[in-house]
Amino acid sequence: MSITKVGKYMRSVSIIGVGCTPFMYTVDNPETDGLTEGEMFGYAALQAMEDAGVNPRDVDFYFHGQASPLAGSNYLTPNIQIGNWFGMKGKASIHHSEACCTGYYALEQAVNAVASGKYNCVLSGCVEFGDCNAVPNHPYKREKVPMEKFLQTTAWLYDRNYCRSMMAGQELIYDDAAEYYKRTNGLTDEEMDDTLCWMSINNRKNASKCELAIERKTYDEIAKEHGFNSAIEYMKSPFNPRTGDFLRMSGIEIKCDGAAAVLVCATDMIEELTHGKMQHKPIEVLGVGCGAYEATNPHFEIRATEEAVEQVYDVTGVKPEEIDIFYANDFIITSHLVAAEIAGYLPKGEGWKYICEGRTAYDGDKPINTNGGRTSFGHAHAASGLADLYECVHQMRGDCGERQVKKLPKTAMLRGYGGAQNICTYIIRTKED
Amino acid sequence: MAVKLEAVTRTFYENLEKGKIMGKKCKDCGAMEFPPRLACNTCGSTNMEWAEISGKATMHSIVLPAQLSSKPEYAPLKPFAYGEIHLEEGSQFNGVVRGINKKKRRVLVDKLPINVTAAIYQRDGYKTVVFDLDEGQCD
Repeated sequence: MSITKVGKYMRSVSIIGVGCTPFMYTVDNPETDGLTEGEMFGYAALQAMEDAGVNPRDVDFYFHGQASPLAGSNYLTPNIQIGNWFGMKGKASIHHSEACCTGYYALEQAVNAVASGKYNCVLSGCVEFGDCNAVPNHPYKREKVPMEKFLQTTAWLYDRNYCRSMMAGQELIYDDAAEYYKRTNGLTDEEMDDTLCWMSINNRKNASKCELAIERKTYDEIAKEHGFNSAIEYMKSPFNPRTGDFLRMSGIEIKCDGAAAVLVCATDMIEELTHGKMQHKPIEVLGVGCGAYEATNPHFEIRATEEAVEQVYDVTGVKPEEIDIFYANDFIITSHLVAAEIAGYLPKGEGWKYICEGRTAYDGDKPINTNGGRTSFGHAHAASGLADLYECVHQMRGDCGERQVKKLPKTAMLRGYGGAQNICTYIIRTKED
Repeated sequence: MAVKLEAVTRTFYENLEKGKIMGKKCKDCGAMEFPPRLACNTCGSTNMEWAEISGKATMHSIVLPAQLSSKPEYAPLKPFAYGEIHLEEGSQFNGVVRGINKKKRRVLVDKLPINVTAAIYQRDGYKTVVFDLDEGQCD
């Protein structure tokens, strides 16, 4: 039984446009070196508006998400500082930050603003330079962030009163879900290790077909280059060392730079706002469930996901068997297994077998993270959630080319996670004529 | 108004300096908040009072520290593990338990939950709470 009962929206809200930059290391490429927050956010925002056929002056409000504006951009008011870049000068906005869950809460914020009746058309975008920080007092230069410096700021995710001092909460993020899954489902060490490796293999297979992903070489190709007979043999070799109690190096996010955006609109006003220029079906946001357990709490990810999933099924009336495609923010790769099982997308205690059989790759019958997830598409922290939504929307339109899933998805669930620890889970469905 | 503006965190750490591990007990429903906070997370009451915990607890999961999940300053704790702790008084939270290594984990994982006892541990500039594996748990 969920601890919060979620009410239905006051009116229907639909996704009408999406935009996303490649996920990349901007400073490593002469063509992208020097890109700024306004340019990245602005590109994703304008792409979303163009996708919908909406003029920026017809958008009422925008939400801005960034996980680390102070450390990454030297910004205290990041929504204002990009305000002139995409044709919305003078329009009101607000910044929000839920670390790695920001891009998922980005949709929730925009939908609430329209569902309440206050606005008819709202943009929500996120930008992050996860791989480089702004050089202070320079208009566009950025410098790479060494891991030690990155870890200094991620420590700020955890409660200063107790969590940091008692030491366990912030360290359990890496392996708690794997330990819980293995113990409660009776897996052997070998089976759990296989499952973690196969999630990385499947993610990379998906990313290999995704032009916006940061890592596109499959583990089959990498294994062959290193003289191994198979991807799984390579994954269990010293080339992919254990960096956690259970987790291997391949199961950790690839931090990088990126931006993404979504445009939502009151469903009954789409025709009026797009002037008939929208070339695709709208996708209705049926409901959003949210949960949060601070990292001192045992099994924080699992408990908060259970709460959010129950809320969203309860408010939408959708059944788990109706979910055609699933996304989970998996900066720790175990996330996509535990979230998919809690959502009922994979059968409880059996999901690991689906993963090891490759059934969760884009060409399987239970596709998960068709863009490659955080370990292959990349993790531009705030922007990742909206990048997942971008991919999901394109899968639902059927225009993903080589990585298009077999059965055109009509209903999707996406589960955001992050910020020690927020959970935001939503169900979206293609609106039929 | 029942709620008081109170430096709960400071009081908690000051009590550790005196050798006492304190929580806040709800006078309405009896639940213990540990570590202590302003309101009861079981019933929502602000009618709380300070109470010393017994230190008796159980550990329900075991995760060993690794490259990603350790820091140089944790070295004096070794061997240790992270896990889900339940206090005798009822609070549940993530904690550190000393006395568990890889070999002992193999035995203990089939015996969960296992008995542990709270201890006060000196960190750089303040004391905190960790737990020790009770004797006989690996037998």
